[in-house]
Amino acid sequence: MIEFSNVGLRYGQGPEILRDLNFRIEPGTFHFLTGPSGSGKTSLLKLLLLSLRPTRGRVTLFGKDTSALDQDALLQMRRHIGIVFQEFRLLDHLTTFENVALPLRVLGEPEASYRANVTELLEWVGLGQRLDALPAVLSGGEKQRAAIARAVIGRPDILLADEPTGNVDPELSLRLVRLFAELNKMGTTIILATHELPLLDAFPFPRMILNEGEIVFAD
Amino acid sequence: MPIELKLPRFAGIENRERAAAIVPERSVAGRTLVLLIAIMTFLSGVTLGGVVLVQKSAIAWSSDVGREMTIQIRPVEGEVMDSNLRTAVALAEATPGVAAARALTLEESQKLLEPWLGAGLDLTAIDIPRLVVVQLADPAEADVEKLQRDLAAVKGASLDTHAAWRQQLNVMAGTIVASGLLVLTLIVVATVLAIVFATRGTMASNREIVDVLHFIGASNNFIAGEFQGRFLTIGFRGGIFGGLAALLFFLLVGVAAGSVVPQEAGQQLGILFGRFALGIDGMFGILAVVPVIAALTAITSRMTVRRFLQKTS
Repeated sequence: MIEFSNVGLRYGQGPEILRDLNFRIEPGTFHFLTGPSGSGKTSLLKLLLLSLRPTRGRVTLFGKDTSALDQDALLQMRRHIGIVFQEFRLLDHLTTFENVALPLRVLGEPEASYRANVTELLEWVGLGQRLDALPAVLSGGEKQRAAIARAVIGRPDILLADEPTGNVDPELSLRLVRLFAELNKMGTTIILATHELPLLDAFPFPRMILNEGEIVFAD
Repeated sequence: MPIELKLPRFAGIENRERAAAIVPERSVAGRTLVLLIAIMTFLSGVTLGGVVLVQKSAIAWSSDVGREMTIQIRPVEGEVMDSNLRTAVALAEATPGVAAARALTLEESQKLLEPWLGAGLDLTAIDIPRLVVVQLADPAEADVEKLQRDLAAVKGASLDTHAAWRQQLNVMAGTIVASGLLVLTLIVVATVLAIVFATRGTMASNREIVDVLHFIGASNNFIAGEFQGRFLTIGFRGGIFGGLAALLFFLLVGVAAGSVVPQEAGQQLGILFGRFALGIDGMFGILAVVPVIAALTAITSRMTVRRFLQKTS
């Protein structure tokens, strides 16, 4: 499903942030992506989200070389990938329901066609009572659950999470990762970037460890 | 999981109102842009109205002047003026395309000289040139050359077709119309530039929305459409304010011109400069500026947004 061959990345004329990445991730797996701050976790996620192109090497997603794809094909592929950020990135003027429904709305689907699904998903992540609340009145945990719901409403094949537990307390962190694990059980491939050791230790998922731009795998 | 929360529900989804706009109204520098577009539309409307007024007056002048010719008969020693006048009138009336010819009376001729010589002056002792006013039925069919040839028989007679005046008038009106159109073009260019800068500012301040839309899979077309919708509304709003202000301006100037200038002088000014009445076509012209400005706003913002998105995505 995901294959990196000799991938390198640099910003402008700066040094290589990622060097010679070679790995393969099978569908339906759950991986932690970890490493010290500045090791390139976010850059790697951006490569996976197709918002950055590698400066060398080849990234293959869903069996296709992404460097050969045009803008439209990239857009279509991006719709199969969900992303969750540490800072939630919900739109402040939209309600929880509207934020979660946004990926379907941008596809031009009428609200009547997705209303029940969005409501059901929000119930599932524990936000059934907060459909019409604006992000400003949601707690950090609620915001992150709304962000996760938004990332999975389009039934993505891959779900990327960049430090999704960075702004919530340890107990809620565990609950959120359990939520990701539930999604993984349903078949979604998950790559969750975190540098919180207690989380890594609490779950038996394999780890991709980035250090000084290079990656090693550990169980 | 799921986590149970005992929090009040704000509203049932069964009663959901229409989904909120993805680009919130307040996030676009709306009021400033509405005001700017209103001013630009007003200036466009006033310029267009001015051009219409001048053109209408010029056409009316040219048509009036073109329907009339003047035969001037200078006093010549040994010639009887009244006889020459009768001959000139008869020759004119016999010319094809002439509707009527009439010699101005001595009193009328004296009145014409009053502005230069003053009133109450007895001109009976002086031989003054006399005029025959020739009205044409159809300027295109009038045989002016024949009349000119025939008048050679009348000593001291000359024919003035007013061609030089008409030419001068047309050049002047043409210059004013061309200047107006140039000003209109510059206003449009300035409007486009202002919208480009406003759109860039809006995109920069809404970068978060653009980024979120990008990573959830929105196409550049969709994002551009969302912003274009906002700008189209602003363009229409500003355009309507500016267009109505321009119409009001012409209405007020028309009323003011009618009440400030005495009626008699007003009539003379009306003959010379037109009546400050735009007419239905002029009003429609100004109103047509509104959708043009709105469309210009939407198209310009869409192109600017697309360029921004191409650079950032």
